[in-house]
Amino acid sequence: MPNKPTCSILAAPLIAVTVGVSLTGCKILPTPSAENGGKPPAFNADKMVGDIWAAKAVPYLQQKAGPFPEVHALAKADPAAAGAKYGNPKKQANSPWTFSIRLEGKIVAANTQSRAATMDVDADGDGKADARVQIGPAMRGTALRDSLDFIQFNDFTNQIDFAQFGKAFNIYADKTVLSKLPRDALEGRSVKIVGAYVMGSGQDLPLVTPAEAEIGPKP
Amino acid sequence: MKLTRRIKLVAFAGMLALGTAAPAYAADLIAIITPSHDNPFFKAEAVGAEAKAKELGYETLVLVHDDDANKQSELIDTAIGRGAKAIILDNAGADATVAAVQKAKDAGVPSFLIDREINATGVAVAQIVSNNYQGAQLGAQEFVKLMGEKGNFVELVGKESDTNAGIRSKGYHDVIDDYPDLKMVAQQSANWSQTEAYSKMESILQANPDIKGVISGNDTMAMGAYAALAAAGRKEVIVVGFDGSNDVRDSIASGGIKATVLQPAYAQAQMAVEQANDFIKNKKSPAEEKQLMDCVLINGDNAAKLETFALTN
Repeated sequence: MPNKPTCSILAAPLIAVTVGVSLTGCKILPTPSAENGGKPPAFNADKMVGDIWAAKAVPYLQQKAGPFPEVHALAKADPAAAGAKYGNPKKQANSPWTFSIRLEGKIVAANTQSRAATMDVDADGDGKADARVQIGPAMRGTALRDSLDFIQFNDFTNQIDFAQFGKAFNIYADKTVLSKLPRDALEGRSVKIVGAYVMGSGQDLPLVTPAEAEIGPKP
Repeated sequence: MKLTRRIKLVAFAGMLALGTAAPAYAADLIAIITPSHDNPFFKAEAVGAEAKAKELGYETLVLVHDDDANKQSELIDTAIGRGAKAIILDNAGADATVAAVQKAKDAGVPSFLIDREINATGVAVAQIVSNNYQGAQLGAQEFVKLMGEKGNFVELVGKESDTNAGIRSKGYHDVIDDYPDLKMVAQQSANWSQTEAYSKMESILQANPDIKGVISGNDTMAMGAYAALAAAGRKEVIVVGFDGSNDVRDSIASGGIKATVLQPAYAQAQMAVEQANDFIKNKKSPAEEKQLMDCVLINGDNAAKLETFALTN
């Protein structure tokens, strides 16, 4: 891996010189790899996510996920135990836990006026919202990326690439899953989600980012 | 130089002659190099690192590079020349710094980077980096909410040579650009400076009187922008900063600036010194070179708990 950028640094001026000699009079533009400090020009977060989404990411979530009420109760009582069972063990030391969850229940409220649309889900049947699910198109955070134990910050050139990779998960979820969900008369419908949420310290409802979502018919 | 050495030799000989049991060397030295302390954020880093180094029995050499890569290179030479056992560095550029840190490594001096990362791994022993992108997303989400997802806004960007200026701007736009009704009417660099932000804001405001918000790449620029807005009788304009300084905390408390994002500067610098100590004494490197530290949103709800770049419980 460390050898790769060196290769492209060396290669870039060579190519430029060759082109310059054979096409005199043409404007020589710096190659992308020379411009961005030797990083392989191929970094494409959307493609990377597309490649692992169905093959690795969704299967990982499905296998790791616990029922939301159970995960959330354990997270409140014993975050470390919840983390060991449902969290990403390779998270950054000072980051909060990100848990993989399955959420089933009834939609009790929805905010589809915001671009960052959400629906509030009652998971335990008491009529009160237990979790807030993001349904896009704008989405907060990087919960999907951070739930996966095979994704490491150290595998990325810098935090910009790492962040764009995180956002690419949200974009992919929006494009392939969330944009196909109904938006009207959501209240009262049943819902089934597989996704992830980050343990928060505030009073707000846990904010779930779905990787899979189904919404039932109007009641 | 020669004379100094002779004096040292004489002193050394004198100590030997006296036959004292005291060790004939001074405490190990740790160099702490950051941008200018004019910005309280960098001062907090230096103070945090120095306090921890002294606590662990080191001497310190505190230097500032003023975001000048050439100066930084000279300071690293100084640290090497003074026989520093480690360098704690908040660097002056993701690309420009690689060679300087490599130079120190070749001279046997390990570097521990804080705050800003560099575009190479395997050169520094540790890069303890604030997750500026995540922090910028937090700030931008709050900004979007305060703006009601629509209206004209201005972005003040930091110093171009500073990696984090670009990262924060990208993080802001990563969130804001999802909202087509939010329109950026001006985007200018004020080089992290309060006075520059004041004058830039004055002229931006003249050209764009219909602005509703200002998102700023750091707190000092946010302070400058808010002062210009207040002077123009436009205190209602929403201003969001970044860093979590005490100045902005006080402004939030008095209803001025609306939010900022805390980077745990003090804790981060102390963590770097602890890792340097472990490396010097036990030859032990941290498990991962690059370590991300999350930032925290500061608004009216928690501003009172903020003190010198740390949240109290």
